[in-house]
Parts: sequence; C-alpha cells; structure tokens
Amino acid sequence: MEALKAQFPATNFTLLAVVLALPLIGAFVNGVFGKRLGKAGVRLMALSALGGSFIAALATFLLLPKGEGGGTLAWTAWRWFSLNGRMGQTIPIDVAFSVDAMSATMMLVVTGVGFLIHLYSSEYMIKDPGYHRFFAYLNLFCFAMLTLVMADNMAVLFVGWEGVGLCSYLLIGFWFGEEKNATAGKKAFIVNRIGDFGLLVAMAILLYYTGSLRFAEINANARNLLDPVTIWPFGNLPIESQWDAANPSANALYKAIVHLFLPEKGIQVYASTLVGLAMFLGAAGKSAQIPLYVWLPDAMAGPTPVSALIHAATMVTAGVYLVARTSAVFLMSPAAMATVAVLGCATAIFAASIGLFQHDLKKVLAYSTVSQLGFMFIGVGVGAFAAGFFHVFTHAFFKACLFLGAGSVIHAMHARIHDTDKSQDIRNMGGLKKYMPITRWTFLLSCFAIAGAPPLAGFWSKDEILWRAFSTKIVAPEVGRLEPLWTWPSWLGQTIYWVGVVAATMTAFYMFRAYFLTFHGEFRGWKVVAGWKEPKHAHGHDDHGHDDHHDHHDDGTPLEGPKPHESPLAMTLPLMVLAAFAVFAGFLMAEPIHFEPLGHILAPVFTRAHDAVVLRGEGVEKLMWPMMGPGVAAFLAGTGAAMVVYLNKGGAPEEAFKKAAPGLYKLIYDKWRIDELYDAVVVGMVDALADIFTTADKWLIDGVLAKLTAAIVAFFGTVLRTFQTGRVQVYGAAMAIGLAGVGFFLVRPHADATVDDSKLRSAGEVVISAAPGPGYEYRWEGTGTEQKDFGPLREVRINVNPGETKDVKLHVRNAFAQEATHSFAITRPGRGFPSSAAPVPVVPGGVVPAGGGSIPAKDIPGLINPRGAQ
Amino acid sequence: MNSGLFLGLSPLLVVSLGGLLLMVAEAFSKRRVDETSDDRDAGPSSELSLGTAVTLLAGAVFAAAIWFVGPEKLEGASSVAPWVIVDRFTLFFSFVLCLGGALAALLAGGYLPEHRLDRGEFYPLIIFSTVGAMILASAGDLLSLFLGLETMSLGVYAMVGFRRASLRSTEAAVKYFLLGSFAAALLLYGGALLYGATGHTDLAGIREAIANMQPGKGSNFALVITAAVLIIVGLAFKVSAVPFHMWTPDAYEGAPTPTTTYMAVAVKCAAFATMLRVLIGAFGEGGLESWAAGWPPVVALLAVLTMTVANLVAGQQESVKRMLAYSSIAHAGYVLVGVVATMRAGGDAQGSVMFYLLTYTVSTVGAFGALILMGSRGAEAVSYEDLAGVGKRHPAAGFAFSLFLLSLAGVPPTAGFFGKLYIVKASIGAGLYPLAIILLLNSVISAYYYLRVMVYMYMREPAPGAPIAKPMRSGYVATALVVAGVLVLVLGLWPTTSLQIAVEAALATR
Repeated sequence: MEALKAQFPATNFTLLAVVLALPLIGAFVNGVFGKRLGKAGVRLMALSALGGSFIAALATFLLLPKGEGGGTLAWTAWRWFSLNGRMGQTIPIDVAFSVDAMSATMMLVVTGVGFLIHLYSSEYMIKDPGYHRFFAYLNLFCFAMLTLVMADNMAVLFVGWEGVGLCSYLLIGFWFGEEKNATAGKKAFIVNRIGDFGLLVAMAILLYYTGSLRFAEINANARNLLDPVTIWPFGNLPIESQWDAANPSANALYKAIVHLFLPEKGIQVYASTLVGLAMFLGAAGKSAQIPLYVWLPDAMAGPTPVSALIHAATMVTAGVYLVARTSAVFLMSPAAMATVAVLGCATAIFAASIGLFQHDLKKVLAYSTVSQLGFMFIGVGVGAFAAGFFHVFTHAFFKACLFLGAGSVIHAMHARIHDTDKSQDIRNMGGLKKYMPITRWTFLLSCFAIAGAPPLAGFWSKDEILWRAFSTKIVAPEVGRLEPLWTWPSWLGQTIYWVGVVAATMTAFYMFRAYFLTFHGEFRGWKVVAGWKEPKHAHGHDDHGHDDHHDHHDDGTPLEGPKPHESPLAMTLPLMVLAAFAVFAGFLMAEPIHFEPLGHILAPVFTRAHDAVVLRGEGVEKLMWPMMGPGVAAFLAGTGAAMVVYLNKGGAPEEAFKKAAPGLYKLIYDKWRIDELYDAVVVGMVDALADIFTTADKWLIDGVLAKLTAAIVAFFGTVLRTFQTGRVQVYGAAMAIGLAGVGFFLVRPHADATVDDSKLRSAGEVVISAAPGPGYEYRWEGTGTEQKDFGPLREVRINVNPGETKDVKLHVRNAFAQEATHSFAITRPGRGFPSSAAPVPVVPGGVVPAGGGSIPAKDIPGLINPRGAQ
Repeated sequence: MNSGLFLGLSPLLVVSLGGLLLMVAEAFSKRRVDETSDDRDAGPSSELSLGTAVTLLAGAVFAAAIWFVGPEKLEGASSVAPWVIVDRFTLFFSFVLCLGGALAALLAGGYLPEHRLDRGEFYPLIIFSTVGAMILASAGDLLSLFLGLETMSLGVYAMVGFRRASLRSTEAAVKYFLLGSFAAALLLYGGALLYGATGHTDLAGIREAIANMQPGKGSNFALVITAAVLIIVGLAFKVSAVPFHMWTPDAYEGAPTPTTTYMAVAVKCAAFATMLRVLIGAFGEGGLESWAAGWPPVVALLAVLTMTVANLVAGQQESVKRMLAYSSIAHAGYVLVGVVATMRAGGDAQGSVMFYLLTYTVSTVGAFGALILMGSRGAEAVSYEDLAGVGKRHPAAGFAFSLFLLSLAGVPPTAGFFGKLYIVKASIGAGLYPLAIILLLNSVISAYYYLRVMVYMYMREPAPGAPIAKPMRSGYVATALVVAGVLVLVLGLWPTTSLQIAVEAALATR
C-alpha cells in the first residue's frame, strides 16, 4: 500500500489512467483484430481488460483516505482548451479526472459488475457471429462510463455522457438486422438528445455564473447562482422608458401592441433554478424519468447482458450521479429539488403500475428499473444525496442479477422456442425451478432484495430514501435583499413518502408475480412448438406434416425438442456473486442499526447537504423505527398478494380482473398509452409541422431559395469559369485589370473620418479625426478657426451650443494632388427635451463607428437582465 | 564567423548541403529510368525520395532545435540580418516549409514511378526550391527576398513541366512561367521604386523612412504608393489571390500531383510569410496601414473576391484535382482575412494566420496525397465519377481522403476547424464582422464540394463499365498520409500548444 502511495501521488494519480486505458485497449483490440483473434482471444482480452481495470479501481478505492483534502485523488491528462469568462478571466478546461468516495464507489460498480457481466456475456453470446463487435462495444461502454464517473469537470463528463449514449445506441441496435431493434436504438438516441440539450444549457449557465466547469469549483461557487434572471420577455426588448417618453401618442399604439404579447411585468427566476431544471432534463433523459422515460423499455431489444449492464446497473444511473455530484447547485434551488423529487416520485409509481401486468419478462424488469430510478431521484430530490446514491449502489447488484437471471431463463427458453418474443413471454414459462435451480434461487433472493425484504440490500436503501423524504426539510439559502426563494410546503415530503410506499407495494407485487409465473407451476413452454395443437385437435387438421406430435404436457414428459436446462458456470457464477451482494450490500449503510461504513466515507462528498438539509421537527428522529413499518408492510402486502394470486390461485384473479375491467387492464398493459400519446401529440405535431415545412420547403426553399441560390451560384460559377479560357493573354489581362484596380484605389484620395460625439450632449464637444493616408494633407472648414491651405492637422475639436447645428467640411489631398471632400452636420439637442427623447445626432456620410470592438464585459449582464432587478 | 551564425543558418545549410549531396549521388547512381519497365523499384525514386524527405525533415528538426535553444541567444546570427533574419518567425516557417516539402517528396516517391516519370532530378528541384522558400521567409531585405523568390520559382517551373511528354504539363509550365515573370517584374520594379523613394532596401529601413516622410510638395509619397501597388500585386500573384489567380488552376492541374502539392503548400506558405513581412514590416506606418486609404482595405477586398470566386467556381468543377486547386485558392482567401486582421489585432491575429498555414499545409498535403493514392497508372482518379464507391472498395484510402477533406472543410475535431476558428476569432477581435461572416458563408459553400467527394466515395456505385480509379500501393505515399493524418488529428485535438507557438513566432516580427 505504501509502495503504491509513493508511486501515485494524490495530485497526479496516474493509476486512474490505467483504470481508463484498459477497457479502451480492450475495445480497440477487439474492434480491430477481433475477427482474427477468435472467440477465445476476444473473451480473454475483454475479461482481462475489465479485470485489470477492476483491480486498479480497487487499489484506487483503498488509497482514497490518503488523498487530498479528505479523500480526493486527481489526475490531469492535458489542457484541452480554454475559454474566456464573463469577467474576462481565462477558464482552462482540462482533460482531468478526480476521484472521491462517490466516484470510487461507482468505479467499483462499473468495473466489478461490468466484469461479471462480461463473464456472463462470454457464454451468453457465444453463438453470435458479432462476438468481437459485441465485446468491443461493451469494453468501450465501460471506458465511457468510467470517464463519466471519474470526470473532474462537466466537459469531460459530457464526453463520457455522450460516449455511453453512443454505446447504448450501438448495443440496443446490436441485432440491427431486425427493424424493431434498429428503431429502438434510434428512439433511445433521439430521446437522449433532448436530455443532452438540457445538459448543455446547464453547462453554459454554470460556466457563465460560476466561471468554471470543474465540479469542485461549481460546488464552491454555487452561491453565484443566486441571481435573478429575467426569462420573460426573452432577450433585450425595449424598456418602457425608452419608447414611452418621446412621442406619447405614437408610442401608445406601440405599447398596446407590445403588451398584447408581453406581460406588463417580466418573469424572473433564480439562475440556480434554471440550471437545476436544465440539468434535470439531462438527467431525466439519461435516467429515463418522466417525461423522457419512453426509450428505456424499448431498449430491451438489445442483448440481455446489455440490459443488465447499461440499462439497469450503470448508465441509467448517470442522471442520479449527476444530480448528486452537483448537489451544491441543487441546494441553491428548492424549487428545482422539488421538481426532481416530485417527478421521481411520479415516475416511481407510474412505472410500477405499468409493470403490474406486462407479459414480457424483460419489460417487467425494464419498468421496474424506471420505477427504481424514480426512487433514486426521490432520494436526491429530498436532499438525501447519500441515500439516493446508496440506492444506485444496491440497485446495481440486485437489478443486474435479475436481468442476468432473466437472460439465463431466456437463454434456456430460446434453446427450445427459437423465437425472441415468445421466449421472453412469462406466459410461456412456469415451473422452471426444477430445471434451473441456481437461476431460480438467485432470482428469488434478488426479488426479495428489490421488494424491500429486511434485511436485504433493497430494504435498507429504499427505507432510507423514504424515511428521509418523510423526515427532512430543505433550508432555502439566504438571498439577502432579493425576493426569497420558494420553499417546500411541509406536506410535500409526506405525500412523497406515502406515494413511495404504494409504489413499493406494487414493486413487491409485480416482482413476485414475475417470479411465480416464471419458476412455479407447470412449464407452459411445451405448447410453443410449431405444430402443437390443443389435444382435441391434435389429430384433426394436421397439414404441416408433424403428425407424430402428441400432447404430453399433462403427464409432464416433454415433446420433442430440448428441455430447458441450467446455464453453464460462466453464467451462473455472476448470478451467485451478484445475489450475494444483493443480500449483504445493504449493511454498508444501514442507518437504523448505526452501521454505515459507506455513509462515513461518502460524508465528505455531501458536506454542504448536511447544513442545508435538516430534520423537519423536534423528535422526528424517534420515528425512524416506526416509519419502517409501512415499508415492511408494503413488502408483505405486495408479496403476499402476488403469492395468493399467482401461486395459490394460478393467476385466476388476474384473469378475473381482466374480464371485470377490460378497459383498465388493457390501458395498463398498453403502458397507459403514453407512447401512443407521444405519437399523437409529439409525432403528430412534428408531422403537421413537417407537412407545413415540406410544403414551404418545396415551394419556398426548394423552388425559390434553393433553386435560386443554386442557380445564382452556378451562374456566377459558370460566368467566372468562362474567363478561365486557358489563354494566357486573358490571364495577363485579368492581372492588368487587377493591377489597375488596386492602383485606382490607392491613388484616389479617401476622405473618411470618425466622429466621437460621446461628449456632445453633456459638453457640446465633438472630436472629428480624419483617417490617415499615405502622404495625405487635410483642410477643415467650419471648425471656427479658418484654414486657408492644406496642412497636417488630422483631428479637430468642435464646440456646439445647445440647439445649434454645425456644418463641417473635410478636404483631403493626397500625394498625387488629388482632392476629396466629406461634409458633416453636427446637431446638439436643445434644452428642455427629456434626455431619453434626445434625437440621435445626424451624421451623414460614411462614418466609421468609433471603437467598433466587442461589447465590454460589464455590459453583458445588462443585456441578459434588461430590467435590472439586482 | 562564429558558431552562433552557423547554428542560426543551420536549417538552410543542412537542406542545401543535403541537396548537393543528393544531386551528386543521383549523378553517380546506377539506377536509371526504363520508361517501359513496370518495376517501380528500379528507378532513382526508391532511394532519392526517402533521402529528400530525410534531408528536409532534418532541416525541420534543426529549425525546431534552434527554437528550443532560442534564436535570440545565438550571438552572431544577427550579422547576416537583414538579408537573412534568424528569428522565431523564420524558424516557424522553416519548419512548416520543410515539413510540406518532405511530405511532397514522399508523395513523389510513390507517384513518379507509378506514372513512369521516374527521373532523379525532381528531388534536387524540390530541395532547392525549399531552400529558396526558406530564404524568402527569412528575408528582411528586398534583395534577398527577390533572390529567394526566384530560387524557389525556377525550381517550381521545372517541376510543373516535369511530365515532358504531356502537352498539358508543358503548357502549364509555360503559362506559369510567363505570368510568374510578369509578377516578378512587378515586384522588382516596386522594389526599385521603393529604393528610389526611401534609399533603403531593407524592410525596417523602408518602414522608418516612410514613417518620417513629410507630406506636401516634393515628397516621395507618390513613388511609395506606386511601389506599394506593384508589390501588393506581385505578392497577390504568388498567393494566387483573385484576380491574379488565373494561372493557378491550369498550373495545378497540368503539373504532376506532387508538384501541385508542393506548390499548394510550400510556395503558398513562403509567399504568405513574405507578405506578412512586407505588409506589416515595411508598410506598417506612414498612412499605408490606414483603414481608409492604405493596403488593408485592398487586401480585404482581395480576400472577399478570392474566397467567393474560388468557392463558386470550385463547385462547378468536374475534376477533383482542379477542385482542390480552387480550394487552395479559397484557403488563400481565408488567410488573407487573417492578414487584414493582423493589422489591427496584432500578434494574436498573426499567430492565427500562421497556425492556419500549418493546418492548411497538413490538410492539403493529405488531400492531394489521398488523391494520388486513389489512382494508379491507367486508372487515375480524375473526375468525381472515378471515385464512385471507392470508399467501400478501399476503406483505408477512403477514410484518409475523408479525413483530409473534413479538415479542409473545417469540421471538428480536425486541424482545419481550429485553423478557421482562430482566423474568425481574430477577425471578430479586430472588429471585421463582415469579413468574418463572408468567411463563414464561404466555408459553408466549400463544404458542398468537399462533401460531394465523400458522397461519391461512399454513396455512389460506379456505372457498369465506367472507368474506376484503382488505388495504388506505395509505402511512401502511405507514410506521408499517416504523418499528415496524425498531424491533422493532433492539431485538431490539442490546438492550443501549437497556436501558442505560432503566436510566439508572430510576436518575433513585432
């Protein structure tokens, strides 16, 4: 350990490069040489890359206490680029990585769970012709995800953020031969772009206000975000005093028109709220929250290990990670936090309700993931950042285990059914416990974990989140003489708590529904074989030539075709390891029993939250144990109901419900028809817009602009090309004409001047400076002191009385004795006019504006906030 | 004479000596051309190409080494000033010129044998032209400037007409020679007038004399202005600014492609180097720098014309090589924008011009090199149709071509993006909004014809029976492309360091 420490100083911790480089090398080798390496080679490369990365990550984690300032290890690779801040300061953006307790934990999850899933995939994908391509993507994903969690600033995080999005897209559409998969990939990609837009906006605002993209500095300067921003009217519209005073009658009309569109009063919000909302849009896209959750269920089109790694354990939690990472920013805006918590809560219960009646095993798990992500957002939304992050951690284990278990089941089913959709349908499963004992036991343990059975992992993390939602309140930061920030009403946390309990009940129900339907009862997969008929038709119309099929499912002997079988060790080993974590990982942060090692090492990451999030009232902490009751009750109720319905009554009540309320059942099964709603509203709107634009495009853009532009470009191109005759005389002539043109310009005198009238109104003084020229001489008229002959005087000062107009003439003579003239009329406004109505001085002729540079930095806030609420 | 002087001149000396040695080696070499043979390794190219590249790269390495030592520390190096000025500006350009020349020599090593032009004299010509270009970039005196210009141009005239049997090649050489002499005469006459008006041939002396000149009767300003007109036109010809560009497409198209590459990068860079020295150095005071009546508005107009005309005509071309010729004219227009900005925004703007020239050099060498790689004897890549589907048949060659075209078009994360970005930034910093906007509009137009190549390479299939380009195999060309490709990406991903170097080099002239 000491040797390692000496090798890697905390501020130049190059071990991080090893963590990052290994998966990248793996991706490169597998992507480029994978075909030649063969499957064994690819497997070795991918597994050793991830394994090595895991060991390095583990070493990093262990070295963490020795890091800078309470546990941060940093490594700066190179200076990427630098920007100018609003104060004119240089803001360097480095390719830099820094690891604190939260990052290090995520690194362990990514590399550790990633390794297990790689191991699992090496068997699961063995028959796939794109084996090397798969592992190249998977390794690349791990690299991108590690970049995301280790990033020191938002620019690097964004690289990782886009990288995981890209890999997710590639892996969802891995079997791109099927239209459906390619579409699902596209959907994920597009929805994520919406979120990325939010993230980019957030980055821009943060850069503007905090002057940095580094997380450490953003969090340190978060108070700069307490600055009101006028969001409406948008931009820099004329303020009333500018157009009200001068000519009341004409401007009354203008005012009326403007107020048709604009409210009398502008709308202002705090910059922190804007950032928080924009950032949450990004997080919602990546982490599948309302309203951007629709891509995740479709993403299940990818291979199952991908769903386990990307769409359950790691990538989808990036949004939660981001919110926790920028916790200080969110703490500046209770409104943004409330948005996060409320939308998280809504997602949790909404997705759970959809999960109730899905038939596709992976879809159940997908909606369960969406729902659990909602719980995590409740956690970070109510200020329990550590708890939210802890749920990310535990969820990674049990959900990965569930997905891999589902993959194991599908693997077995697929060997028999050879149809992707049918082999994922839980109606075709049942009774698998006797064929697949390991899968069954690990799946069951993970079900207990996710359903919140004490004392498994999910119980501790979910309970912690709900308890925090119930018991804490967020202290709005002091904003001095500005309008106070919006604060949480006291009922909001309690509402979230109770909705969360209901969602937890549903979770227990649908998970155990899936479990019972899959592993208990009779195996229903016998029926899904080509040519199978109900017994009474078995010998009736058999026109497929399979007349030796018999119905054997009554006595349990299989029809022809392979039996479902347990998966090989490479697949069951990860299941067992993950299940062990699903059982025991909760003890890393079990607050009620005061055993929380993870909580302790996470504490320095969230120091600011400690001050801003306080208990709601005296004696609330005494409720910690009692409030656990509803959570346990939720588990018992959900599990019990599932047991009664699906184990004891064989699913009859579900059928009954389906018959009793077919509309509602169908509605839930069809996911509340949100996809259709989006189709109708968003896609419909886009289609309508597209129609309008197509027409406009066809007639206006294509017909007029494009053709016209193209014609003009082509015309000039052709015309200009005709000069390119190849005859050298023409070329010489062109040069001679050019020479004459240059000569004409330089030989002719140019009487240009700049007028500085900044002191005209106050002191009546104007400075006119003539542009210099080679050998130029000047003569001025109307300046007061008459000048007979040309001289070197280039600048004159003129005094104008109020209400007076002066005509000034500038004569210029150049070295060729050519002369040119320029006249100016300078008017000083008379007294008595309101100053805002002063007419702009009339300055005819080509006057070069003075200065003509960029806007000085001090003016910029005024542009954004014209009404000047500060 | 002392060691400081030798060290200061070492890039020039190394390249010159290397050139002489190679010439002798070539004369005694047993390798002779057999114009009918298909054995591409039998000709002199196989040894001379690498030798030339190594010589020129050695020059670049020496330039870099002096950079790190610091030219201001070399005592005695200033004893040859102002004829040869050893400063960071010179070193930067020596490096760029040697790099461009070396890559062109590598391209020639593949191209000449493939097209049965394998005669050894090409390589000394490249080397001595580069010597001329380096002198041109370092000249602080009109005499050495003219000497360098002619040394460079004479070699290039011969290289353009290198394909003796081809009418087009000889025609191109004659045209280039005629018009080049015209321009050289203008430049020389302008220099003579300047000497008459100021009594100086060194640029610093000219500047001082103009600054101290009094207007009025009997002043020499009329002579100075006339000289300025002539010199501006002469320089505009060398950088092929519209309307002094008309020789460019013909010469570029008729010349063997390595020559074209060399002209597009080395000749153009040297011309810009001398343009910066003359316009900023000699014409920087006394009213000639005026925004109303001096050279900046003239050069601004030339820039607008150059960008716009070149881009409009480039879109009309059917030959890819000719398109690239126009593209190089258009790039000269972008650089001219930066030159104008330099007058107002100072060292940073000039640094962006020089950085642009570096990015332009690597991208252009790459683009022409990829074009060379695309064709082989009897199956050359000439028109867009020849390239149909080549990206699918030969992914590596297609990828390389695409990379360089994207860089020329200015797409991140390639070198060309940051080159354009910094020029635009410099012109905005100088308050030249219209020029910046016109530049951006033009780069949009240019994207059309660059992407068109990629459309043909990846999205078209050749018509049945139509001639298709068959990529050649050459380690030299491949090496040049790899070097250029790595540089394009490195400059695109880590632009700041090289920009800082360019700015430092630019500050040396101020």
